[in-house]
Amino acid sequence: MFVAIGELKLRGPVVAASGTFGYGTEVPLLERRALGGMVSKGIFLRPREGTPPPRIAETPSGMLNAIGLQGPGVEALIRDYAPKWAEWDFPVFVNINGESAAEYGELAARLDGVPGVAGFEINISCPNVEQGGLYFGNDPRAASAVTEAVRKRTHLPVWVKLTPMVTDIGVIARAVEAAGADALCAINTFVGMSIDLNAYKPRLSFQTGGLSGPAIRPLALHLAHQAARAVRIPVIGVGGITRAEDALEFLVAGCAAVQVGTATFVNPNAIAEVHDGIAAFLEAKGFSSPADLPRFLPRD
Amino acid sequence: MFLVDARITSKRTVARDMYVLTMQAREIASAVLPGQFVNIGWSPGPLLRRPFSVYRVDGERIEIVLKAVGAGTAQLLSMSQGDHVSCLGPLGHGFEIGAGPRTAVLISGGLGVASMTLAARRAASLGIRVTWVHGARTSEDLCSESDGDDLVWATDDGSKGVKGTAVAAAPDADLVLACGPNRMLAAVAERWPGAQVAVETYMGCGTGVCLGCAVPLKRGGYDRACKEGPVYRAAEIDWETLPSHLSYAVTA
Repeated sequence: MFVAIGELKLRGPVVAASGTFGYGTEVPLLERRALGGMVSKGIFLRPREGTPPPRIAETPSGMLNAIGLQGPGVEALIRDYAPKWAEWDFPVFVNINGESAAEYGELAARLDGVPGVAGFEINISCPNVEQGGLYFGNDPRAASAVTEAVRKRTHLPVWVKLTPMVTDIGVIARAVEAAGADALCAINTFVGMSIDLNAYKPRLSFQTGGLSGPAIRPLALHLAHQAARAVRIPVIGVGGITRAEDALEFLVAGCAAVQVGTATFVNPNAIAEVHDGIAAFLEAKGFSSPADLPRFLPRD
Repeated sequence: MFLVDARITSKRTVARDMYVLTMQAREIASAVLPGQFVNIGWSPGPLLRRPFSVYRVDGERIEIVLKAVGAGTAQLLSMSQGDHVSCLGPLGHGFEIGAGPRTAVLISGGLGVASMTLAARRAASLGIRVTWVHGARTSEDLCSESDGDDLVWATDDGSKGVKGTAVAAAPDADLVLACGPNRMLAAVAERWPGAQVAVETYMGCGTGVCLGCAVPLKRGGYDRACKEGPVYRAAEIDWETLPSHLSYAVTA
């Protein structure tokens, strides 16, 4: 079930989403044959502690998280994880973060050429950091500047993960396409909030968090579709995908591949079940590859 | 770690609104260590699994203790014998109980009994004399089941045993293990910095991936209740930052 994301061939259409798959060493019990690829937990140049607890709150069919991009920093990632990735039979993309366009560029330059690093997912959409993150994702000029800063420092594939918290995702999508992105990931979490009625204050210490899970799927599908209509580069659909049928909706709506995230928290083998379900659907309908699926994708 | 489709085999009441569920989970029953937990999901149910300490092991069966603290646990308690749940475990790093200590005191508050039975049995098997101090608000809230050589009861209202907290009622011992509300564990940390305590946090995946169950450490930073924990040396934890009370959403 190969799919093409620009020049890059993935052996399957399902990719593990950033922040839900650690550095690839943590998720147990997954049949890894099903992984088209994975995106690492978001990394900064320097180590980050993350936010104080409570960091997660469950909501109807969803969860809010404000982890705050806790991570060991790029040097530890290169030392502890990249050598493992170099041995694996699927590509590992690194989700990169910064407080300025220059920091994103520096991170890409540091990781470019490190064995095991197959490409980058630029995170301009994390709602849980004080500086950077979402700020870059809802301004087309800032989004473009970050993408360019990374593009200049690497020949590896560059994906850009978009935020849903915009008035027109097509504007941002076109801006990062023009700045040299190879693919878009649509979408990151929605900003949400939940109140503790015993304490009369937010349930998360960060007050707000990123909403993920099946609750956001129809919203994510619409935004991924809008992004796909707006650009010529591939769009990887992400948001609430739990079953094969969910993934197939994104593919028909114009996505070249999908990412599965929160579902892995609930079912460690979710990615394999989505992968196998897509394969079964394609076979039952007589398609030889995901690329042959009919698309509903009127062009803007 | 195993993902088991577990059949519920029985349910019994052990205190007011407190129940023990028994389920068939052979692989987990044979692997679980004291202080470890399972993460349980069911369908139709809430999105996330719910973590429970393994209370007892009986052959191929495991037991958990629960109260209906939120919508999820209420659903779980409405299930009947023969229903199935998805059980992921055993998870986490449990109590370290080795040969050496002569005496152990186990301190449990409320649902904290859940992680104590396996610990009591392990300690007893090593020839350690076990005193178990049960604390609860009233006699009706005290779990009716226990293990160990000596038993001490403590209730806030004095309706059974010592009036006051379980921590105050506990004797000193070579080995101190505790599980209960985080406020109680903070009191344990004051008295026995070297005690092993099992903390309670919100939890996402239970397997170390989501970083949702962050436990703040005295030395700075956070680690994961589901992986490095849920058992810690009491002195390691930054009790000021660890939420002392978890409230559960009624809508999830």
